[in-house]
Amino acid sequence: MLRTDHVVGGLFVAFGFLILALSGDLPLGTLSFPGAGMMPKLLACLLVMFGLALALHARGSEPLASLSWRDLPHAVQVAAATAVAVAFYQSLGFALSMGLLLFALTFGVERRHPVLAAAFSAAVVAMTYLLFAVALKTPVEQGPFGF
Amino acid sequence: MESLLLGFSVALQPDVLWYAFLGCLVGTVVGVLPGIGPLSGISILLPATFGLDTTKSVVMLAGIYYGSQYGGSTTSILMRIPGEASSVMTCIDGYAMAQKGRAGAALCIAAVGSWIAGTFGVVMLTLIAPPLADFALRFGPPEYAALLVLGLILLAYMSSTSLTRTLLMACVGLLLGTIGIDNMTGHFRYSFDIAELGDGIGIVPVAVGLFGLGEILSTPSATVVRDVMAPRLRELLPSRREWRQSALPIARGSVLGFLIGLTPGSAHIISSFLSYAVERRLSKHPEEFGKGAIAGVAGPESANNAASTGAFVPMLALGLPTGPITAVLLAALMIHGVAPGPTLVNEHPDIFWGFVASMYVGNLMLLALNLPLVGIFVNVLRIPYTYLYPLVVMFCIIGVYEVSHSIVDVWIMLIMGIFGYGLRKFGLDPAPLVLGLVISPILEMSLRQSLIMSNGNWTIFFQRPIALALLAAATAMLVLAVLSVQRQRKDWRRQLAEAEAGDSA
Repeated sequence: MLRTDHVVGGLFVAFGFLILALSGDLPLGTLSFPGAGMMPKLLACLLVMFGLALALHARGSEPLASLSWRDLPHAVQVAAATAVAVAFYQSLGFALSMGLLLFALTFGVERRHPVLAAAFSAAVVAMTYLLFAVALKTPVEQGPFGF
Repeated sequence: MESLLLGFSVALQPDVLWYAFLGCLVGTVVGVLPGIGPLSGISILLPATFGLDTTKSVVMLAGIYYGSQYGGSTTSILMRIPGEASSVMTCIDGYAMAQKGRAGAALCIAAVGSWIAGTFGVVMLTLIAPPLADFALRFGPPEYAALLVLGLILLAYMSSTSLTRTLLMACVGLLLGTIGIDNMTGHFRYSFDIAELGDGIGIVPVAVGLFGLGEILSTPSATVVRDVMAPRLRELLPSRREWRQSALPIARGSVLGFLIGLTPGSAHIISSFLSYAVERRLSKHPEEFGKGAIAGVAGPESANNAASTGAFVPMLALGLPTGPITAVLLAALMIHGVAPGPTLVNEHPDIFWGFVASMYVGNLMLLALNLPLVGIFVNVLRIPYTYLYPLVVMFCIIGVYEVSHSIVDVWIMLIMGIFGYGLRKFGLDPAPLVLGLVISPILEMSLRQSLIMSNGNWTIFFQRPIALALLAAATAMLVLAVLSVQRQRKDWRRQLAEAEAGDSA
C-alpha cells in the first residue's frame, strides 16, 4: 500500500537528483579550495539519502488514501486569487490590486454579501494605505490613478 | 551594572517605550488569534520598522515575540484553542479550570507565571550573554562550522517530528540558502537569469510564505468555528491555595524553559510539554491533571515564556538563531546595518543593553496589558475568519513587497505558501527549513574557510579543542537520537508531535 512517506521520500529523492543535474556547471573544487558546487552537491546527496531513508521506513506513516483533500478547493481559490493580485500589483498599484483581492476573497470565495464585501475591501484598503503611506511613511506601490 | 543602566536610559525613552508597548500589544493580539503565529506577525510587520532606528525596531519586533507567548494562553484557557503551538499544554487544564468557573484564576496564574518566567529569563540573559559573547570571540571558522553542525543535530534531536524529516527539511533550507552569487568565487548558482535571485532568497518571503500564507491555505474558513467565553473581571484573582500550588511549578518552569530555550528547535513548545510532564510526575495528586490542576497551567506557561527569552542568548551573544523567529530578528538587525554576533555587545552597547532593558519593561507592560484587558483581547476573536484571512493575505503581500520592493520576492512567498500547504499535508515541519536557509551562508563560508586555512586538511575540526568538543557533542546527540528511533518508544517527542498534530487539525 502506498503511504505518505513513500510519496514524500520519492519527491525529495527526485528533487535531489534535479539539483545534481542543475549543478553540472558548478565547479566542485578541491579540498584545499572548495568550489561553488561543493556545498550544493553535498546537500543534494544528503537530500537523496534522507529521502530514501524516509521512503524505506514509510511503514509507520499514514496510507496515502487516508489523506483528506477537502481543504484543497479553498486553497486553490485563495492561491489563484493571490497569484492574480501579485501579477497585477505593480501595474494596478496597491489600492486597486489589494481592493480587488479582498473583494475576490470575501465575495468570490467566501460568498459574503457583495455590498458588505465591497465596503469591507474599500475600508481596509483605505486604512492600510493611510497606515503605510501616512503614519509609517513607507510608500506603497502606486497605480495608474496615483494611489 | 553600568551597562544595564545604559540600557535602561535607552529603554525608558518615551519613544522606545511606545514601540515596546506597540510590540507587546500586537504580540498579544497575534498570540490570541489562532492561525497567525509570532513568525508571521514579525515578518509581516518587519517593513513597518524600516523607518525606525535599530533599537526601536528590534524592541518592537521582540515585543511581538514574547507578547505572543502571553496572548497564546488566553484562547487555550477560554476556548481550548491554542493561539500558539506552545500553548497546547495549557489547553488541557486551563480549559478544564474554565469549565469549573475558574477561567479568571487560570488567566491570572498564566499571566503572573509568564511575567516571573520572562523576568527570570531576562536576568539570566543579562548575566550570561556578555561573557558568552567574550568567549565566542575565540571562535574561528572551524568552531563556527562545528557549532552550526551541533545546532542542526540538536534541532533534529529536539524536533517534534522524526529525525529524518527534520534533517530533510533542514537540507532543503540549506540548499535554498545556496541560491545566488557564491561570495568566494562569484559563480551564479541556480539563479536562472533572474537578476533578483543573484542576491539569494530572502528569509522574509520564505517565512511569510511557509507560516503565513501556508497556514491560511491549510485552514478552510468553514472549519473555523468560534465560541467565545468572556471571563468576569472579579474572578481574576486566584485563591490562596491556588497561589500556593502554582509557586513551585512557576519556579521549575522558569528554570527548565530558560535552559531549553538556549537550544535550537521549537524550544518554547518543547519546554511547555516537558514542564507539564515534570509537574505531573512531581504532583502529589497526578490524577487531578487533565481535570483542572492549576500546576498544569502555571508550569507550561512559565516554561514557554522563559524559553522564548532564553532563545535570545545565542542570538545576541553568538549571532546564531535557534529558530525561525530569532532568524527573522537577526535579519531585522542586518537590514538595519548591525552585524549580530559576539561583537554586538562592545560595538553597539546601546542596542544590546537597550534591547535587554526593554525586555524588563516589556514584561511589566504585558502583565498590565493581559490581566485587566483580557476581555478586550477576547473580543478580537469575534472577528469572523472569513474577513480575517483576506486581511492576512493582503498583509503578507505588502509585508514581503515592502522589504526590497521586489515582485520576485512576492512570487517566492506565494510559491512557499503553496509548498507550506503541501508540507503540512504530509506532516513535515517547515521550521527547520527556515533555520537551514538562515545558517546556510554562514555554514558554507565557515566550512570552506576552514578547509582553505588548513590547506585541505579536514582534520582541522578535530585539532582545535572547541571545535572537537562541539563535534563530540553533536555525535553524542546523533547517536542518542538514532538509539531513540530504534527503540521506537513512545517518548515525549512523539507525544509532542501528536499534540501538535491535534493542534493543527
